[in-house]
Amino acid sequence: MIELHRVSKIYAVGPVKVPALSDVSFRIAKGEFVTLCGPSGSGKTTLMRLLYRDDVPSEGEVEVLGEELTHLSRAEVAALRRSIGIVFQDAKLLPGRTVYENVAFVLRVLGTPRREITGRVFDALRAVGLSARAQAYPAQLSQGEAQRAALARAVARKPLLLIADEPTGSLDDSMAAEVLDIVKDIWAGGTTVLFATHQVALAAALQRRTLTLQGGRLVKDEG
Amino acid sequence: MFGFLLGEALRDLRRAGSVAVSAILLISLSLAALGAFWLLSSNLGHAVAQLRERVKVVVYLEREPSTRDASALVERVRRMPGVAAVRYVGKTEALGTLKHVLGKDAAVVDLLPQNPLPASLEITPTAEGATLEGARALVTRLAALPETEEVGGGVEWMDRFAHGQRLLWLFALGVGAVLAGAAILTVATATALVLHARREEMEIMRLVGAPEHVVRLPLLMQGMMQGLIGAVLAVWVLIGCYAIIGPRIEPLVTETLGITRLAFLRPLNVVSLMAAGTLLGGLGGWLARGRPES
Repeated sequence: MIELHRVSKIYAVGPVKVPALSDVSFRIAKGEFVTLCGPSGSGKTTLMRLLYRDDVPSEGEVEVLGEELTHLSRAEVAALRRSIGIVFQDAKLLPGRTVYENVAFVLRVLGTPRREITGRVFDALRAVGLSARAQAYPAQLSQGEAQRAALARAVARKPLLLIADEPTGSLDDSMAAEVLDIVKDIWAGGTTVLFATHQVALAAALQRRTLTLQGGRLVKDEG
Repeated sequence: MFGFLLGEALRDLRRAGSVAVSAILLISLSLAALGAFWLLSSNLGHAVAQLRERVKVVVYLEREPSTRDASALVERVRRMPGVAAVRYVGKTEALGTLKHVLGKDAAVVDLLPQNPLPASLEITPTAEGATLEGARALVTRLAALPETEEVGGGVEWMDRFAHGQRLLWLFALGVGAVLAGAAILTVATATALVLHARREEMEIMRLVGAPEHVVRLPLLMQGMMQGLIGAVLAVWVLIGCYAIIGPRIEPLVTETLGITRLAFLRPLNVVSLMAAGTLLGGLGGWLARGRPES
């Protein structure tokens, strides 16, 4: 499903070269739930961006869903992303659209037949417990609800891989637990999950395989 | 999918607000100006065409030929390139015409000791023969005839008229181009504002793997919509002006240009204006398009 081979990423800030990832290698099999743990600035987001080809490695190879990503064309990148659900810490909901419209929007831009959209949106909203808030705008949602809406948007497309970049980062414990339960349900449905968090306790509580990044290096792969 | 893209484009148009309205008005203005010049020029062209049909070249003969010689001369001239028709006018007929023109003063002619008017050939040129170059060639050929005393008439004045029409067109294109340039920049600005407003949507679209044309088509379409709306407004303005001003200046036009009716643009011209507006708007939308991901 995912394979990184000696991946490094170096950002050039003027004449200074800042290594964000150094010599990272690992494999994630189909159907796994893997936690990516590490403090802020450890390289989690950089690594995730490489996985959905928002960036390319300075060295090494990144393979996702059987594709080596470095030399993909724009159309191939788009095709790859159609199989990946992505969730961010800030939810990235569109403020001018309701929860329903936010979820429906991605289905529409991907050419889902109109007659299927309502059913799929409500299936996704039911899965995250937000059916009753379908007509609410993002500004009317709590942070936990916003994150659940973002999850609904990600899973409405039935992705093979879910990349969650600190979705519980700004939530209190009870909201974080709710979001985590939903992510586990998604994984139980057969989706491979890579879940990033800086909260060590949360990663430990998940009791899943955990990759630990520190200073851009993979320092631990356990569980 | 098309319905969705169109819906997004309309949403973008609303977002652009007053800048979009300015762009539409500028497109209207440029196309209305272009359309007005086009209307004027096509009517001038119509007048030139009518005048060309009435052009005559007259060959005054040194002496009046016999009936047989006159027929042979007419036949010879008719076979010349650039000649559509030839009519022989004898001295007597010319004098009769003069009397007719003089009307109640025709008696003056009878006081003349002899008929001073020469026999002549009235020549109607073909369309090619009525152009400046064609007429010059025809006049040269006619002047070379041994029977010719003098060649009168020509098309220089009409070619100056046609030249004026071409200048009018160039002026129209210049004004239209300046206004069109301003319109394109305004549409590009409106689209850039939309682009800023919808950057989050474009980011989401790209993250979920929407094809690039789905990401960018709404921008192009909202530009094209601005152009089309502007063009429709321009045509309305032209129709309104034509309906109001046309009847008032028609007598003047008839007097000066000799055309009985001021014609409006043809349907094909109107369609061309609409297409030009849509193209202008589309160009503005395209210029401001979002940079594709590498």
